[in-house]
Amino acid sequence: MKKLTRKDFLKVSGMGLGAVSLAMLTGCGSSSESSSSSNASESEATTEATSESAGEESTLTGLAALPPSDVYKGEVQQQTFPLVDEKVTLRVWYPYASNIGSFPDLNDGEFWQWYEELTNVHIDFIIPASGSEADSFNLLFASNDMPDIVIQTVGNYGYRNGQDAAIDDGYFADIAQYLDYAPNYVSWLNSDETFARAAYSDTGKLYGLWGVWATDSDTSYANCGMSIREDYLDALGMDVPTTYDEWEEMLIAFRDELGIEIPFYTSKYGIDNGEFMAGYDTAPYFYRRDEVVQYGPLDDSYKEYLELLHNWWEEGLLDKDFSTRSSTGVGGDYDVLLNDQVGSLIDFDTHLGSIYLSRGATNEDFYLIGAPQPKKSADSVDPAWRWTNVGSESMYGITHLVAADSENLEVAIRWLDGFYGDDVCQNANYGLESEEGIVWYADEEDGHRIKSYEFRYNNPDGLDSSVAKVKYYVHNPPVRLEAAECEYLGEASQNADEVWRTYEATNALPQRLTMTAEEGTRYATLYADIETYVQECNVKFIMGQMSLDDYDSYRETLIEMGIEECIELQQAALDRYNAR
Amino acid sequence: MRKQKAITAPPKGRKGRIRRDLRKNWVVYLMALPVVAYFIIFHYIPMGGIVMAFEDYSIKKGIFGSTWVGFYQFQRFFSSVYFWRLMRNTLLISLYGILFSFPLPIIFALLLNEVQNQKFKKFTQTVSYLPYFISVVVVVSILSDFCKSNGALTQLATMFGWSGGALISSPQWFRTLYIGSNIWQHLGYNSIIFISALTTIDPQLYEAAKIDGAGRWKQTWHVTLPGLIPTIVIMLILRLGQTMNVGYEKILLMYSPATYDTADVISTYVYRVGLIDADYSYSTAINLFNSVINIIILVIANEVSKRVSETSLW
Repeated sequence: MKKLTRKDFLKVSGMGLGAVSLAMLTGCGSSSESSSSSNASESEATTEATSESAGEESTLTGLAALPPSDVYKGEVQQQTFPLVDEKVTLRVWYPYASNIGSFPDLNDGEFWQWYEELTNVHIDFIIPASGSEADSFNLLFASNDMPDIVIQTVGNYGYRNGQDAAIDDGYFADIAQYLDYAPNYVSWLNSDETFARAAYSDTGKLYGLWGVWATDSDTSYANCGMSIREDYLDALGMDVPTTYDEWEEMLIAFRDELGIEIPFYTSKYGIDNGEFMAGYDTAPYFYRRDEVVQYGPLDDSYKEYLELLHNWWEEGLLDKDFSTRSSTGVGGDYDVLLNDQVGSLIDFDTHLGSIYLSRGATNEDFYLIGAPQPKKSADSVDPAWRWTNVGSESMYGITHLVAADSENLEVAIRWLDGFYGDDVCQNANYGLESEEGIVWYADEEDGHRIKSYEFRYNNPDGLDSSVAKVKYYVHNPPVRLEAAECEYLGEASQNADEVWRTYEATNALPQRLTMTAEEGTRYATLYADIETYVQECNVKFIMGQMSLDDYDSYRETLIEMGIEECIELQQAALDRYNAR
Repeated sequence: MRKQKAITAPPKGRKGRIRRDLRKNWVVYLMALPVVAYFIIFHYIPMGGIVMAFEDYSIKKGIFGSTWVGFYQFQRFFSSVYFWRLMRNTLLISLYGILFSFPLPIIFALLLNEVQNQKFKKFTQTVSYLPYFISVVVVVSILSDFCKSNGALTQLATMFGWSGGALISSPQWFRTLYIGSNIWQHLGYNSIIFISALTTIDPQLYEAAKIDGAGRWKQTWHVTLPGLIPTIVIMLILRLGQTMNVGYEKILLMYSPATYDTADVISTYVYRVGLIDADYSYSTAINLFNSVINIIILVIANEVSKRVSETSLW
């Protein structure tokens, strides 16, 4: 197995490459501001110079308007700290309640204390209750009291009329107009054309500062996928299945020979996020095939997939209580998972191996491994879909928005931009520099940081692994280093990542399709009902409350509800994206 | 001067009377003030927001700036695929609820009234209304546990020939579970008002009935029940006025895509459309429609009761 070698992503490609790519992107450009900012002490002058001109150059549109940068992917920190002389407090809407768990106050986290000291900016975290993030996000617009910084999980909720509209309506700042405050972010935009294309909207706006995946390899990061109990496979003397038939054989063996109650655990919607059905060459919702937008439930292959699941349901291979479980996709309910009732599921790489033992699994042999996405037969083409559809955009679906009317707009942008520069990025991902040998250790060859597995999962202070995470580094920092996420993990996790990442999500729509305000409203009006209807019918088809013989009339209902117009709207957005 | 006048000659006209009453009972008025203010602030002023139902409301433009679309949002609802299902579910859950959970507290109160042992009576009353104080979240999670595929209630149902698996994900069972758990939770608490009404019945009436030779049953039928009728009627009218309001918190906790068929009601739909999808105009329109039906039912119930039993709200 190839071990993921991380040669410090910041050093893997020299500055020369960065300079070339920026020259290609921007043509020329050596304004006095950008060239001076390669080291921290010099850039103080920059700060003053830029703050005067910022905001006035509102004619910026599209990629051509990017200010040049001779830094490659933020490898030099270009912000000057502290950001302010007198302490400023920013309010940050931070929707990670479930990840923070039992950690009482984020401001006690080591990283946050360090960053506060560095920037002289105090953060008031506003943390919406777990599960009500969408409601709380919508209420932000009605409250007339937008926090300075809002972190949005784009796939889960959004401003009803679209991202551009949220800027036009004056809620969030168009970062494209304040790029002088964000030199680190600019260096990312300049160094990665696909990222820049995804970051800008059709009208040339920047909807916040987008989260970045920094990977070393050609394929994008995959941190979740099919997972199977290896100890069960061993007990049965079976190999990891690769086709649906082999899966079925394995699930039946789980049921009959081992007496597993839930051979295959699915989400409460019955279907997965697409990774398991991808072998049927379809997807749970919109996807593209040769740049033509498709809607999964309209496909015949989608129906076939439901037939498979329905048969498995009848056979007792699925979870009898799936529709009332809390899981929406990845990971299982602990009460069944830890008690040997689950044979296979979709899970995160961090859960593989024997991690669940530390969370209370009763069986000493508990060992979870990653498995390939099944295919119809061994010679079928590889599935072109996976759960983390990062694609080649190296962007992850979280954006960091700044309130347009924030009194500390400049500080807020600079504070966020700091995360895109080397030192802050490293500390956020691995833990503070001063924690060497405790939270992380240096690689023997080139000295790059590697997280300590022991510290995270067998914490010397007895901290739960999730608490250890929140206390010593940042959950979903703006720049996520792939190596920081995987390199320290156990063998099972690393093997799984290797397997999962082979399925490039070429069928997935780019994350950053943007609709105009009118399109967005129309789409929301139509699609909200359709989505509920599809979710409901998926469950009913699987449980047999609806017969699959009625699939045609189901499709007709979808068409009556306006699915074709939704597809057209998505297609228009995709066309514009491709033309960006 | 004025004081003198007040003593010598009672002031004339309505204004004068009010002023005198205010001076005399100012403490009572003061106590009423917070309640009146509450209703004005939280129940009357927000009614202005109903305008949103006739607009294509956008937060940015505000109530006065949004486009006027007339009855568009209502038409949208009436032509929605969900319209009939939502109406049917709301009405059925509500009517079954009235049918089963309204008479039970009355019967319970009557039964308790017949109990002679005071200690046992108090004990039963306390035990029966304790569930009322359990959070609905807890009640639903207990219920879900009992109704999983291997839960106690599911196994019980299977013993009696049920073969559809977990009750909680079976649409056929949703109403039963919803109303059943409601009865369990609210029976004791709802009976309190009837029990207190029973204490107001004149004991002499019972004595007179006894002398006339009435047994326990006849006493209940001819003395206790007639004494309870005004309370029952008022409670029933109030309950009917809530016909279209089904407790959406509990349904939100209980339902899943598998049971939408019988469980999705207007108020849960309004929640999804309004708070999750932020389609404020549409959800306001649906809720307004809901309230109008409620008022119509309330007025009809009141009118019928006025004619039949001479008891009414107004």
